[in-house]
Amino acid sequence: MSAPKGGCFGKILEINLSNRTYKTREVPDEVYQKAIGGNGLAAYFMTNEYKAHKDPLAEDAFIFYGPGPLNGTYCIAARTSIANMSPYTGLISHAETGAHFGNEIKWAGWDGIYVKGRAKSPVWISVVDDKVEFKDATNLWGKDTAETHEAIMKEMKDPYARTAVIGPAGENQVPIACVIVERFRAAARSGTGMLMGNKKLKGIAVRGTKAVPVVDNVRFMEVANYAKKLAVEKEAWQGIKRWGTAGLLELKHYKDGSLITKNFQTTWYPDIIKIGGEEAGRRFWKRHVACNHCPVHCLKLGVIREGRYRGMIGEGPEYESGGLLGSNLGMNDFNSMIALIEACDAYGLDNISTGGILGFTTELVEKGILKPADLDGLKPKWGDGDTYMALIRKLAYKEGKAGKLLSQGVKKMAAEVGKGSDYYAAIVKGKELAAHDPRGDKARAYSYVLGSCGGDHHEGASTRGLVIFAMLNSLSLCSFATGLVWGGENAKITVGMLNPLCGWSMTEDDYWTTGKRILTMERVFNVREGVSRKDDRLPKRLMTEKLPAGPKKGAVFTEEDTKKFQDEFYSFLGWDEKGIPTEATLKTLGLEYLIDDVAAARKEYKL
Amino acid sequence: MEGKEKKVSDLLQKETTRRGFLRGTAVATGSAVALATIGSLAGKSAYAQAKPPEAPKKDLMKYLFAERQNCTGCRACEYACSVFHTGVVRPSVARVHVMKYKDVIDVPVICWHCDDHPCIEACPTTPKAIQADPKHNGIILNENICLGAKCMKCQEACPAHYVRANPDTGKPLFCDMCGGDPECVKACLAQSCNPQGPCLMANKLGFGVNMAYRAVTPEQAGADLLDLTFYPNVTGKRVTPAKTAKSRKARR
Repeated sequence: MSAPKGGCFGKILEINLSNRTYKTREVPDEVYQKAIGGNGLAAYFMTNEYKAHKDPLAEDAFIFYGPGPLNGTYCIAARTSIANMSPYTGLISHAETGAHFGNEIKWAGWDGIYVKGRAKSPVWISVVDDKVEFKDATNLWGKDTAETHEAIMKEMKDPYARTAVIGPAGENQVPIACVIVERFRAAARSGTGMLMGNKKLKGIAVRGTKAVPVVDNVRFMEVANYAKKLAVEKEAWQGIKRWGTAGLLELKHYKDGSLITKNFQTTWYPDIIKIGGEEAGRRFWKRHVACNHCPVHCLKLGVIREGRYRGMIGEGPEYESGGLLGSNLGMNDFNSMIALIEACDAYGLDNISTGGILGFTTELVEKGILKPADLDGLKPKWGDGDTYMALIRKLAYKEGKAGKLLSQGVKKMAAEVGKGSDYYAAIVKGKELAAHDPRGDKARAYSYVLGSCGGDHHEGASTRGLVIFAMLNSLSLCSFATGLVWGGENAKITVGMLNPLCGWSMTEDDYWTTGKRILTMERVFNVREGVSRKDDRLPKRLMTEKLPAGPKKGAVFTEEDTKKFQDEFYSFLGWDEKGIPTEATLKTLGLEYLIDDVAAARKEYKL
Repeated sequence: MEGKEKKVSDLLQKETTRRGFLRGTAVATGSAVALATIGSLAGKSAYAQAKPPEAPKKDLMKYLFAERQNCTGCRACEYACSVFHTGVVRPSVARVHVMKYKDVIDVPVICWHCDDHPCIEACPTTPKAIQADPKHNGIILNENICLGAKCMKCQEACPAHYVRANPDTGKPLFCDMCGGDPECVKACLAQSCNPQGPCLMANKLGFGVNMAYRAVTPEQAGADLLDLTFYPNVTGKRVTPAKTAKSRKARR
């Protein structure tokens, strides 16, 4: 056990909100070699510290804000990974977000912030290098994310501080609440907002002035510069630089046939020309914004120039937000769609799950399963922005009958409503699917069904891709500017950067082993909660209903596809046919401490 | 007097606008590439081995310039600057930085290398702790003479609010032009691509532009850019969907 030589500091800031204290948790180099950082490190802590059937909202449940070893160095596009046990699905969960928050944590001299406990009154935390302060957030409680961000920045008296805050949805403990980083970026999809609200933690602000130590700077800069050059020059990426991910809205409609439309009824949505990237370029976008050191600058800021929302400065649409709150809801008014996105950000709601819930509700109303009387007299129909806006507000504040019903999420809604509504529920492991229809884009099903979080679009689109994404999320790197650009060179470049940075002697085989180890740790955590092969599948609708129109007309995700994906992935990872890591695999990966857990789970669930 | 005349004649004969400068370097780089290609095509000829194509000789740059509305806030300039000066990435000691204004505007904050040097004028020590290098116009700090945190007269004097203190030593940070070939400019040009052009540029002549731009503080520049960019929202005031809905209801 030794302290890290470079890349990491070997120190994690451990905050206990219950008694408002903090301490340094020393982490030896061996653990970083094993779990890298970010969500890998979080999975390591979670499997070590949590017993099976942990209450995700318990007082000692933790949130890990984790940058990776490459954050704060010359490597491009390092992000932040936020991981916790999701109170929404009850499984391990992680969310990644852009901007500069993660780097600032590293520059403050920490490898991550680990928050546990529960404050008695609302609090926000200021971290300036080694100085940690607990500040009263009573006045901020109830404010939306932008106001909170502004107030915290005012109090920090430093334009270079970076924040991560929650909005009213998190305070009201809506399980799909997210964390908004620096006003425009969201770490959603893992219920972190609800957990922060439960801990009465309104936000964190970080400012750092240190540097990350590098063991062999010359060699490291060489590889980092090469990696950067690839991202600058990649031809296919020029489109993302120009159009952001909004350009994919049209692409997936016309070419791939995988654009989510009206709660997975179809993927053919001709109105996309009214809300897609081209329209955004024409009437909304004003400037490009990049994360740190990133040549791709995929975030677009714009301003609405006419109508009732005149003067609203907002971001997007991205592919997911424009898909879920646009085509998924049958929107054809661009400004209303931007307002919905902005409202979700302001309340601190996950765009994807919110869109999923609203689409599901609308379809139930359309099919006559839900009546307006169940929704406080509101009658959502496709493209009706005002009703959706009202529902989003109710959702965020759990207001009235509609708010209480919708804020539970699709899974519990289907259980409560009954009447065959579960057929329309597009969920995997209890979480709403993102904007890629797996019938048109079959590879995306790898991420949806085999990824650790369930229903997540950001976990790789092939067996090897899942391992690569596990590494990317642990390094907290952006898949656009790094992983997808590097393609086949992922292992080579990552190892080439990590070795001179941290003084390690990793090989390319170690890269794959480490990725598999992280996935296996996450899997064991989920197995303890009862996940096995039966959960690694798409909802019934996507397996039976053929696509009625579009470029992939007639496509359906079959039982054979599912079996092929599962078998291929399980055998690559060394798991058995039930999707549970075998004892031999755990020993090879150095996870002996989990053998007993797996055996207990097998006994409990008769697997 | 003679020197001044020479400068003017240079100005008339050569293309000296910013764009002209950029075109000039592009042509130079292109010809270097062509030469290299010819060299490799010719194989291992004695000539190619004996005389590798020389890199085009660059003029020393004396002024920085920031095309502010092109900044995407990627901070490549901060990275390059701190790597050049300290070896590792450390934006807090970078001599160029990017400030967020009202969360929606990125303002690059640079030293404009004023011709009258208010910072040097304000420096109370004898000899002056800061000097402008005659060759490349970079401001060089002599840390042994500088009084540091208890003085900071240069910080007060800077009309562009550019000068910040080094968090370790408390002494001011100045742009030394990297000896005439600024790293931030190269980094910015390397990152910039379709559709966003480069933000930072360097030139050997100031054209008085530096004197005009230096009078604008980062906050003023941010306000100007916001007005320019986000019309009709000229102040950056927040329009929230919830409030819009409410106020409409009240009006009804």
